[in-house]
Amino acid sequence: MATVEERVKAITARVLKLDPDQIKSEDNFTADLGAESVQSIELVAMFEEEFGIEMEEDAALSVETVSKAVEYIAQVCKEQGVVTDDREQKTEDR
Amino acid sequence: MNKAKKRHPLVDAKKPNLLEDTYPYSLPPLIRFEGPVVEYIDGKAVEFDFGAVKDRNILITDTTFRDGQQARPPYTIDQMVHIYDLMSRLGGPNGVIRQTEFFLYTKNDRETLDRCRALGHKYPECTGWIRAIKGDFRLVKEAGLKETGMLTSCSDYHIFHKSKFRSRADCMDSYCEVVEAAFEAGVRPRCHLEDVTRADIDGFVLPFIERLMEMSSQVPDELSVKIRLCDTMGFGISYPGAELPRSIPKLIYKLNQECGVPSDRLEWHGHNDFHKVHTNAGTAWLYGCDVVNTTLFGFGERTGNPPLESAIFEYIALKGGLCGIETMAITELADYMRSIGLPIPENYPFVGRAFNTTRAGIHADGLRRDEQIYNIFDTEKLLARPPRVAITDKSGTDGVVHWINEFFGLKGENRINKIKIHKLARWVIDQYDEHDRLTAISDQELEAKVKELMPEYWEKYKGNHK
Repeated sequence: MATVEERVKAITARVLKLDPDQIKSEDNFTADLGAESVQSIELVAMFEEEFGIEMEEDAALSVETVSKAVEYIAQVCKEQGVVTDDREQKTEDR
Repeated sequence: MNKAKKRHPLVDAKKPNLLEDTYPYSLPPLIRFEGPVVEYIDGKAVEFDFGAVKDRNILITDTTFRDGQQARPPYTIDQMVHIYDLMSRLGGPNGVIRQTEFFLYTKNDRETLDRCRALGHKYPECTGWIRAIKGDFRLVKEAGLKETGMLTSCSDYHIFHKSKFRSRADCMDSYCEVVEAAFEAGVRPRCHLEDVTRADIDGFVLPFIERLMEMSSQVPDELSVKIRLCDTMGFGISYPGAELPRSIPKLIYKLNQECGVPSDRLEWHGHNDFHKVHTNAGTAWLYGCDVVNTTLFGFGERTGNPPLESAIFEYIALKGGLCGIETMAITELADYMRSIGLPIPENYPFVGRAFNTTRAGIHADGLRRDEQIYNIFDTEKLLARPPRVAITDKSGTDGVVHWINEFFGLKGENRINKIKIHKLARWVIDQYDEHDRLTAISDQELEAKVKELMPEYWEKYKGNHK
């Protein structure tokens, strides 16, 4: 079962066309991973779709690193009653 | 570097000061003055109180059908009647657009005049325009007009090289004979001092004006001569300290204060050969000339005249209120003029298709947060033209999201956020990055893509328009 962090990294790799193994938790989406403006929007949109959540636009777009994204998504999932327990996640797309 | 002479400590604030006394947003930015202006005339300091303009009866006149028509193929009668009708709405019941002038020479000229008057509008009043030929007053009388403009060119370029007078005295006598004929015909003459900014002011213009004033003193007030100062070649200068004959402040002062031409009988007619036309007209107002002559969208001989619509916004800015003006008619006039083939540049102020359209993503972001950041005033309320974003590779996601919200007419909390438009934003970027596009994306293309990429929003907001 994939963790929130693994799922975040997988989406990041897919949107930014990177090898998931090269993505580190402390990486900055823009400075380290090269995310451009439209890719930042795509990342947030894909995270929403992946986790079935709605994120606040400005707050989501102000998240700078992978680890902060994991933290923020986990918090939003909790607030919106979305279970992120690994044992209950669908993983067929990863 | 110059040594600082005064300290300016930061005035810290936790709340913004948006200077709303000057920038009310519901009106164009107001023009406020803080004290008199001094101009040195013949070595003496003369004070001008610009603030007094708020209480003066300043007015706009129009020459769209005369000077405006000298720069294009003739309008049809129907077109002129429609334009006149809209112009009347624009100027409102107080007659801010006080007069418009017509040729009187052809059957069509006279039919146009009759049909415009048949609309029954009090304003703009219809006046004529004739050559300085005595026989032409028959046309004015037959048309039943109370006032007509007449050419009284006053530079030596015109007096000697164009009109071939033997002397200035002959020229002045000739002009005065025609003025006399106007009085006899019971028609108020409006002397158009053609090429005044290239004339000998002391040697011809002021003596001529003095003679006209003397003649006017012998006739009833309603016949007294009006003076139109025609900056025929756009040579007029607004800057304090400029010399005659180019100085607008000095010209107006001399006629108004030295020759005694009342402000309400002085009119400024400019041309735009040096891009000074609107400011020069505003300057004329401030220095004591009550009337500025304009054309719709500045369309006139060569580079054109003071744009009527700009004079309207200047008027509102100086007066601090709409004074009955119906600004929406400006947009209707522009749409109509475009429909009959008048070219209006995209970036033309107030009416060009892109006058309040930004292409820069960073400006679009500002518009998204608060449209006042990048909009000159409430253009939706005053002109039915909300601020827009044109989509190119420079628009960014902020530009795309602004376009979408405007397209769906969504405001406040109902606005769609950037995250929801990511597919459309990606399509826009790919147009340039992947397909090497070099042109802006049209509204029609974007509309088709919204329907394809955002069907749920299309259904929600445009479903009933399918």
